[in-house]
Amino acid sequence: MKTAYIDNQEFEIVEGESILAFIKRYKEKNLVPTLCDAPNLEAFGACRVCSVEVALEENGTVKTMASCHTPVAANQYIYTSTESVKALRKNIIELVLTDHPLDCLTCEVNGNCELQTVAAQVGIREVRYPEGDTHLYKMKDLSHPYMTSDLSKCINCYRCVRACDEVQGEFVLSMSGRGFDTTIIKGFDQSFMDSDCVSCGACSQACPTSAISDIFQSKAIEATESTRTICTYCGVGCNLEVATSNGEILSITAPYDAEVNQGHTCLKGRYAFKFYNHPDRLDSPMIKRNGEFEKVSWDEVYEYITSKLTSYKEEFGPDSMAGISSSRCTNEENYLMQKFFRTVLSTNNIDGCARVCHSPTALGMQRTFGTGAATNSIDDLKDTNCIMVIGANPTSGHPVTGAKLKQFAMKSDNVSIVIDPRRTELAKYATHHLALRPGTNVAVLNMMMYYIITEGLADTEFIASRTEGFETYKAELLAIDLTQIEEVSGLDREQVKAAAIAYATAANAMSFHGLGVTEHSLGTFTVMQIADLALLTGNIGRRGVGVNPLRGQNNVQGSADMGVQPHQGAGYLDITKEEVNKTYTEFYGVEVPREIGYKIPEMFDAALEGKLKSIWIIGEDVVQTDPNTKKVIKALEATELVIVQELFMTETAKYADVILPGASFLEKSGTFTNGERRVQAVRQVVNPIHGCKPDGQIIVEIMNKMGYPQPDYTPDGMLEEISQIVPFFAGITWDRLGKNGLQWPVAKDGTDTQILHKEEFKRGKGYFEFNPWRETEELVSHALEYPYILTTNRELEHYNCGAMTRRTANEELLKDDYLMINPEDAQDHFIKEDDYLCLESPRGKVDVRARITDEVNPGVLSTTFHFPEIMINNITGDVHDSEAMCPEYKVVAVRIRKSKGKFKEKKNLSVTTG
Amino acid sequence: MSDNLSELLGRKGVEESLFDKLGQLAKLEGTPTEEAIQEMASTFLIGKANAFGTTSFYDFLKPENKGKKVYVCNGTACVCAGTQKNVIRTLKNHFDSKEIGHMTCLGRCHENSAFHYNGKNYSGSALRKLENIIDTENDLNKDFYNVKALDKAILTEEFTSISEYYQPFLEVLKQDSLAVLEEIKTSNIRGRGGAGFPMGLKLEFCRNVKNDTKFIICNADEGDPGAYSDRYLLEQRPHSVLFGMLISGYVTHASYGIVYIRAEYPESVKVIQKAIDDLLAVGLIGENIKGSGFNFKFKIIQAQGSYICGEETALINSIEGQRPEVRIRPPFPAQKGLFNKPTTVNNVETLAALHFIIKNGGAAWKSMGTERSSGTKLVCLDSYFNKPGMYEVEMGTPLSTVINELGGGFASSVKAVQIGGPLGGLVPVEKIEALAIDFESFSKEGFLLGHASIVCVPSDFPIMKFIEHLFDFASYESCGKCFPCRLGTKRGHELSSKALNSDYKIDRKLFTDLLTTLEQGSLCAHGGGIPLPVRNAMQYFESELKQYFN
Repeated sequence: MKTAYIDNQEFEIVEGESILAFIKRYKEKNLVPTLCDAPNLEAFGACRVCSVEVALEENGTVKTMASCHTPVAANQYIYTSTESVKALRKNIIELVLTDHPLDCLTCEVNGNCELQTVAAQVGIREVRYPEGDTHLYKMKDLSHPYMTSDLSKCINCYRCVRACDEVQGEFVLSMSGRGFDTTIIKGFDQSFMDSDCVSCGACSQACPTSAISDIFQSKAIEATESTRTICTYCGVGCNLEVATSNGEILSITAPYDAEVNQGHTCLKGRYAFKFYNHPDRLDSPMIKRNGEFEKVSWDEVYEYITSKLTSYKEEFGPDSMAGISSSRCTNEENYLMQKFFRTVLSTNNIDGCARVCHSPTALGMQRTFGTGAATNSIDDLKDTNCIMVIGANPTSGHPVTGAKLKQFAMKSDNVSIVIDPRRTELAKYATHHLALRPGTNVAVLNMMMYYIITEGLADTEFIASRTEGFETYKAELLAIDLTQIEEVSGLDREQVKAAAIAYATAANAMSFHGLGVTEHSLGTFTVMQIADLALLTGNIGRRGVGVNPLRGQNNVQGSADMGVQPHQGAGYLDITKEEVNKTYTEFYGVEVPREIGYKIPEMFDAALEGKLKSIWIIGEDVVQTDPNTKKVIKALEATELVIVQELFMTETAKYADVILPGASFLEKSGTFTNGERRVQAVRQVVNPIHGCKPDGQIIVEIMNKMGYPQPDYTPDGMLEEISQIVPFFAGITWDRLGKNGLQWPVAKDGTDTQILHKEEFKRGKGYFEFNPWRETEELVSHALEYPYILTTNRELEHYNCGAMTRRTANEELLKDDYLMINPEDAQDHFIKEDDYLCLESPRGKVDVRARITDEVNPGVLSTTFHFPEIMINNITGDVHDSEAMCPEYKVVAVRIRKSKGKFKEKKNLSVTTG
Repeated sequence: MSDNLSELLGRKGVEESLFDKLGQLAKLEGTPTEEAIQEMASTFLIGKANAFGTTSFYDFLKPENKGKKVYVCNGTACVCAGTQKNVIRTLKNHFDSKEIGHMTCLGRCHENSAFHYNGKNYSGSALRKLENIIDTENDLNKDFYNVKALDKAILTEEFTSISEYYQPFLEVLKQDSLAVLEEIKTSNIRGRGGAGFPMGLKLEFCRNVKNDTKFIICNADEGDPGAYSDRYLLEQRPHSVLFGMLISGYVTHASYGIVYIRAEYPESVKVIQKAIDDLLAVGLIGENIKGSGFNFKFKIIQAQGSYICGEETALINSIEGQRPEVRIRPPFPAQKGLFNKPTTVNNVETLAALHFIIKNGGAAWKSMGTERSSGTKLVCLDSYFNKPGMYEVEMGTPLSTVINELGGGFASSVKAVQIGGPLGGLVPVEKIEALAIDFESFSKEGFLLGHASIVCVPSDFPIMKFIEHLFDFASYESCGKCFPCRLGTKRGHELSSKALNSDYKIDRKLFTDLLTTLEQGSLCAHGGGIPLPVRNAMQYFESELKQYFN
């Protein structure tokens, strides 16, 4: 055991740790003050306030050293509080105060300012220096809807600069000038708004004073309460610390002890919360009568729904009703929704938004591995040598994971492979970027595996011991036509080969994929190939490897886990099997149906065929976000009773017959399961706004009304029920979740699981299956007339249909959807930046503003569907993944021309009239 | 310091350096345009703020440098000589004041009246021939100083020919690199840049780190006013520097050598480049040199005006194109240096010594000088000496011998000499007898050998003004990273300036607190070193200074 001494007291050291970390482990946190040190940043050594004295023998000759960056060594005698070192700290702080406005009483961080605390700790009583040069003249920057700066309060600790670099990897902040004139700059010494800031707020949280802050004054201590909960905005599952006062939310920060996000989060999680009490919130149940919504009481609406549903059940049978549950809701609410449909309504017509995003992931990974969820955790990035990111733009879609991937990609010893038609932010930093033509994932992945085998890089030992089906697979794979793949994908075979070799030769390779994989006609097969790639190279079952889908909505993993699927009930049990049916029937106390229900697209088809009488949709704007808008609208119009449970009057809600006002994530408790199978506690921060109820409670009340005895919605009570039926939730209880949740499967004793398939696969052996590339029907039928390929993407600032983010200041940061078009194509059509162009597909037309960029190749266009003004899904099509029926949002045949500008005029009008 | 920026800026290798490019882009107008900076940022995948932040740091890149045409030296020797007011006055007859900038030490300490115009340095009587300098080709930039070795000429030995000079290198290529390293360690040569760290150990650290890419950097940016020995070696003995780098590369398994040369020494760049070209022509550098399997390439990086770049970690940041702020240690450059790769940084004079050591063996070097200070040393004398110039003496030679015998004594009355640059001690003339040119005697007497060059403080030059100059310099050249130096040098300058120019009296306790804070708290030797001459001044010139304190 190696030891060193703190103030002559002996303690064990950890090799390589700093003196500061050593002291902090054994002594009170503030024994040695610091200013430039921060929990999530590398040691920097600027402030020198953490200086201590170090001797080689007890009370020996000392040397003054900055403890934050000096490694502790065995047998050192460290003196933390000698007169000379105390004087040094005091003298440094005195110097700092010569250039600081001493306006603490009116400062927003009064009482929570690290400079103030350290000044008090070192005992500053006066500043002896005569008046000299200062930076007090620096003006505040209030240009940005969220970020603010007042650099007169800057102490040049560089924490913001380092956070922007080491945490977010954005490099918006740096210093200019030198010596005393050194000062923080944003971009070219611009305002926050004019800079390339992505508003993640890492700088604001890192700043020890109020030099950089935000409009919510998140470092102010006005709040009386703080609640730790989980973000609603994506599958990363960031932990948030929400400060409230008098039942009102003041601000949000990210806790440093969060295993998921370590003190970081993005502009959506940190700043986009003001939607929760927006005046647009639905605040009463409503029934549409004579084309107008009328506010009604909860009793009336329950009565109305109950009588309708009962009559449909009797008259048209249970399968005349269908439900779409919400991945923005908690596990408990999703569980209740599927239980309600299966038990009370007796139908398996229950599906969720996973259908339109990651259903191929669940299915594909189940087929290959046996479990449709991420095999590893994001933390494994610390132990990987190679990442393959395919069909995902995580810096926008999953910003906190995206930032980690970007940090990884920036290091030259790491290998990163990006397979994406777009030159995404990550692609810019990647070792290999395969900018394939949309719709050719299968072809390119086959080519990669071809080379791994022909180059002799397959992990034969792993294949022999852990997999099946390899020989057949290999024979089929080796027969692929490489020339054809080059032609259709637009990639050179050498480029693909290099990427394949990089993946196969990495000690540990980890893959990440997103909707660019799943939202294709061959989505499930692509997922299986990604899984095969891991099998082929033995990259499964240990840290730093695996197949890791980046789940889209915050609880899309959980909604499927809870049984929001027409073919599997809670816990992924096959509802068609007799023994499963028996288990469910016994557990729920009522007979449950055994026939597979409708998937979402089938629900719309059934509606159009007149077979669907009722559809109940929670928190999902299918009109705006499902493909082929006109068809969706017709389907809703054809359904007698459309129940929409929502926060806002979305495009879908407009077509509802009944509106139920639900509650946002800030207004209820429960659990969300993130993309790494981590079940985390969502804790109610404020009461539901007047007139609304937690969605789970609404379902419970309807169930009760319809005669099923379901206890009131409480997270602990619900989890107790769920843990008895979902095998991998066996050990999950509300109390056990703690700060950082548990990763399923969780054994009865509470042991959770970071890595799946360690010893054997859930299905026994990993399964190889070859699937050839086929051109999507969309292009086979329409490419001649519609020669461009439109693909869809997401923007950092907005979330899905934008119902929430558009009702926050995020809208000031990104005001509309725009279309990315290559300069060559723009030139061909005489399109200039910001011109409106008309996109036309076999389904319809939309006008959208052009952004000319080489992020997309010629022939490829890309846009978003965050805004109802554009309704891009008017033109997306009906082609679905052949296996899981996930719509093909990623390949749409279109033609383009310069718009006549009708839409633009309308847009301008709507702006001027507010 | 940013690991990410080191990685990103290193992606294109040292051949394509952001810093180099910014220098090129600044040539036209004195600073790169915003568009050019933006393009650089996207080329290197870094932030605009990073590229702009770097640009704004350097005297010859920053936006304020736009339109500057002529630069006046404000190094200590020129300041003490009092010649520069006249230089400015004369230049103003030909240039708008906005076109006149400053450079700190052009290495013309022996002639003074130094200024820089159009890529050349001028000094001494050149000012009187301005008409022949402006817009005309001329050779008036030549200077003259004595060069003499007290005993044997080693560093100043006449250069004969490449084939003869590099013969020992060819021998080395046949030897085990470990044996070569042992010779260097045997010589006990200590770094000549100021800190005196044993060179052999430094090379060994780098050698022991496993990496395919390693760098040898020659620090030719030690811009200490008063020291023109580096300039002498670069311009008069370029091969001694390149030879030393080749040997360093061989023993550490590095295959890149970077010569980072002060912007203030434009002529040095040309001479070194020619020497590199000559080596390339005869196949002494490049791939698989003479069939040995050893590869070595050179690259010159021209600095852009910042004294702190003489600090090795700031220098590394500078070459990368980051802001040259001092890094924390550990990690040491040998572990994680340029572009996060193992790196050895050595001073010009240290590298130049390797030729003798390799040719004659480490013991031969060790046999010269004193027990702990081996070999010979170059010492520069400024214009206050009867015989200004650069002298090579064995370590341990009495300072008085240098001053009186070699320098011929002071030409006019001098009360103190500053030895070893602005961070070196201020030696009152009565202390000269107690010192010899070695690390030990200086340390014992409370001074610092540094690079051992000598700048005189004339008897009529107020010591308070000298202190003010030191703080002005320290504050102007502080990188701004650590609190004590950024704020402390500034306040030190304000205090001394206020006391000098008004009836303000400095609180003595405050002043000594400030010095202690700088000494103990600073991240590097810049802030940490400036208190030494100030304390010397307070100790030896108390009678002159007490009027400024209460």
